[in-house]
Amino acid sequence: MSKYLDLSIVEINKLLKEKKIKPLDLVLEAFDRIEERKDLNAFITLDKERAIMKAKELEDKEVDNLFFGIPIAVKDNIVTKDLRTTCASHILDNFIPIYDATVVEKINDCHMIIVGKTNMDEFAMGSTSQTSYFGAPHNPWDVQKVAGGSSGGSAACISARLVPLALGSDTGGSIRQPSSYCGIVGMKPTYGRVSRYGLVAFGSSLDQIGPMTRNVYENALLLNVLVGRDDRDLTSSHKEKEDFTRLIGEDIKGMRIAVPNFFVKEDIVSSEVLNKLHEVIELLEKNGATVEYVDIDYIENAVTLYQIIAMGEASSNLARFDGVRYGYSVEDPKGIDELYALTRGNGFGDEVKRRIMVGSYLLSGENAKIYYNKALQIREAIRESFLKVFEKYDLIIGPNATTTAYNLGEGLDDPLKTFLDDILVIPVNMAGLPGMNVPMGFGEGHLPIGLQIIGNRFDEALMYKLASFVEKELDLELNPLEVR
Amino acid sequence: MAEYKKTIGIEIHTELKTKTKIYSNSVNGYGKTANSNVNVVDLGYPGTLPTLNMEVIRLALKAALILNCEINRDMHFDRKNYFYPDLPKGYQITQAETPIGVNGYVEIEVNGEKKKIRIHDIHIEEDTCKSIHYKHHSFLDFNRAGVPLVEIVTEADMHSSEEAMAYVEKLRELFLYADISDCKIEEGSMRCDVNISVSKTSELGTRAEIKNIGSISNIGRAIEKEAARQIALIENGKEVEFATYRYDEKQDETVIMRVKEAGNDYRYFPEPDIPFVEIDDELIAEVKKTIPMLAGERRERYVAAGISLLNANKIIQNRNLSNYLNKFLDSGINLVIASNLLLGDISAYLNKMGTELENTKLTDEKFIDLVQKLDKGDINSKVFKDILDDVMEKDTTIDEIIASKGIKIINDPSALKTIISNVLESNSASVTDYKNGNTRAIKFLMGQIMKETKGSANPELVNKLLEEELNK
Repeated sequence: MSKYLDLSIVEINKLLKEKKIKPLDLVLEAFDRIEERKDLNAFITLDKERAIMKAKELEDKEVDNLFFGIPIAVKDNIVTKDLRTTCASHILDNFIPIYDATVVEKINDCHMIIVGKTNMDEFAMGSTSQTSYFGAPHNPWDVQKVAGGSSGGSAACISARLVPLALGSDTGGSIRQPSSYCGIVGMKPTYGRVSRYGLVAFGSSLDQIGPMTRNVYENALLLNVLVGRDDRDLTSSHKEKEDFTRLIGEDIKGMRIAVPNFFVKEDIVSSEVLNKLHEVIELLEKNGATVEYVDIDYIENAVTLYQIIAMGEASSNLARFDGVRYGYSVEDPKGIDELYALTRGNGFGDEVKRRIMVGSYLLSGENAKIYYNKALQIREAIRESFLKVFEKYDLIIGPNATTTAYNLGEGLDDPLKTFLDDILVIPVNMAGLPGMNVPMGFGEGHLPIGLQIIGNRFDEALMYKLASFVEKELDLELNPLEVR
Repeated sequence: MAEYKKTIGIEIHTELKTKTKIYSNSVNGYGKTANSNVNVVDLGYPGTLPTLNMEVIRLALKAALILNCEINRDMHFDRKNYFYPDLPKGYQITQAETPIGVNGYVEIEVNGEKKKIRIHDIHIEEDTCKSIHYKHHSFLDFNRAGVPLVEIVTEADMHSSEEAMAYVEKLRELFLYADISDCKIEEGSMRCDVNISVSKTSELGTRAEIKNIGSISNIGRAIEKEAARQIALIENGKEVEFATYRYDEKQDETVIMRVKEAGNDYRYFPEPDIPFVEIDDELIAEVKKTIPMLAGERRERYVAAGISLLNANKIIQNRNLSNYLNKFLDSGINLVIASNLLLGDISAYLNKMGTELENTKLTDEKFIDLVQKLDKGDINSKVFKDILDDVMEKDTTIDEIIASKGIKIINDPSALKTIISNVLESNSASVTDYKNGNTRAIKFLMGQIMKETKGSANPELVNKLLEEELNK
């Protein structure tokens, strides 16, 4: 089997330009790898025939950009024209969209080749991808462990080097936490940076699509492609396009970095994770950065706020799955009420139903004022508190997850556990800020530990600068196959 | 025994006349093939997001200004959540917390008495799709899904069916004139829900809602019928149920649709997909400029120009004619003649030809010329009728048309005097009648003179000369 997909994007691009390889070589290699690692259950739907066809079509075209002919995996809550999009739910397991998400148009415009749709928590609701109707994906570092969630399939397929690029989505840590568990680089951009058009909505005011890759540089490159104002998404920002790689490799001397006290609480974060964090802090200080500890108001309430806001919005966003126009629909219902009840009753899994019920309750009658509106107020206070920190500091760092990946099957009977897993990543979504994961080491059982970097609004380029520094200095072997 | 007093509030949904829908770029059109003006946003497909049609904001703002409302400067949209097959997203994007306009009023006049009906609010929302029931199947037409609406909610300020009808008529007239909506009740572009209760005391009775009444006259009938039904219930010691009705035109009665459950829970919350909309002074000023002269002011100006109230109302009912007449309000021409022409021969011509004024060759210059010629007596109404087709269909001037028809207007007093003398001579009996005090005889004599001149004499001049001659 060829090994082109272990090369960097830049190296692959050179080979393509020199006509030493064809896009078809890359696509076939990707499908060989996917076939070989079927046990990971990283994909829900593969699109082999069309991927091969597209690769062949590219043979006559000029290699006009770095991503030309590169295989990419797309999380299954991002709609793809003519390619089944399930959101890992029974209710959409026959849904074939007739339109592309804006990000999918963008990756198609660069002639990337979509190999398939990745596994995830049902409607992105979960932290381990175990709520998937299609079974959980496995962690390539230890197949007994979870890949994290909700973008678990995307994280697993990058970590196992099945494809070099993937898209994920992050409502409350769903890119960063699985990236941390699987030892890859994942970026949740500033809310509004990337168009949400075609991302099946979970928590509309929190959802954001982002790149998941093997390394920092390629992550920044992919983000270059994804961003930009989209008139189909009114919440997308008018911010000009920029080169997110531009600060990579620059000296970090003089950088002012903050660590929230909440992120280093020993009763929350495991000691092996804290130890790695302290090693990184030392490294940064040694290289001329200043690191100080700060308080962020209400950060400890972020999970509660998230539950109110995300579940409230989700209960409304998921109302459209009613069996009338698309997706699963119960046969021969006795009237419209039964159509709704049985379609939704059979179609949604337990976690989704739980969140719809809680969300509906939270918005019900006076509760909307007591809970939802109140949550929006406190959320604003958190945001302001974060922005205050950025008046004095360039970046904020901390861990992404309290522990390394845990065993599959763990915590399934404890609906609160998965939220507590996300205690470190959720505040970023509340504040609409960009947050990312870059691997910072390994814990017991050689499971990856990730560093979270949080930037001010639209400061992704600066985050990539610090991330690439950490990546280069630590120089970790991040291919699980090489370690074994 | 005290009389029962009716208390009435009205909710009106009006479709806005925009090119595209409110939250997508689908065409906003009525009467198209089912499900042809539809895209994935209208169908509520997963991942789709609403956009916001600024034309809707401008029209709704115009409506709010006309209704004398306070404007919510920092405005947002809310989701109203409920399940229904005609609601593709499972929620309607509407305005609950910050309606575009609040605390307005509309002035109505009933039996010569003016009254202000207070407007609680006017808000923007999307229409649902249309359900069509056939045998035991239901069909959905999404052409209507996402058509922009404004809903206007009054306070319960009306106390008779006349007031209610006057309010709806007034609102219709306002919106038609401001080009906000077609206001076609029969086609559903304007839909009225009436809330009514009856009570003998100052305490309000339990209200019933009559949904979607199909015409203004039916609003009056439905109110009378429903009030009678409620009074009969109370008189028989029964209670009025809080419920929703429809008015059945054939049976001429209100028919129950559903009993209302207390506290409908729509789980409103701010729409996260549409950012807040700021309505600034600039936008308000810009929209104000687009408000044309409204019906009330038109009526006042027409009547002030000497046009009868009857004719003024007739013109106002036809916005095209009224807009045409308005071009000449300050031109100094005789507006009575102008309005008579428009309502009479010109309307008849347009009806006969099935066309509109703007599709004819009647230029403003020609119209002014016509009115002035008629006013001065250079032509009379018979000549006008003779040349009308040419005026409407040819590019030539009025003078050229008259010349080409070989029509000469006799304006020469000496020529007319000769004709008059001849007519008087051969109708001496009528002259005697006139001199004996039968003033009507003069009309007969006028007719004879016009006949003699084949209608080409200046009637005013003839009248003057004839009187002089008779009174000699």
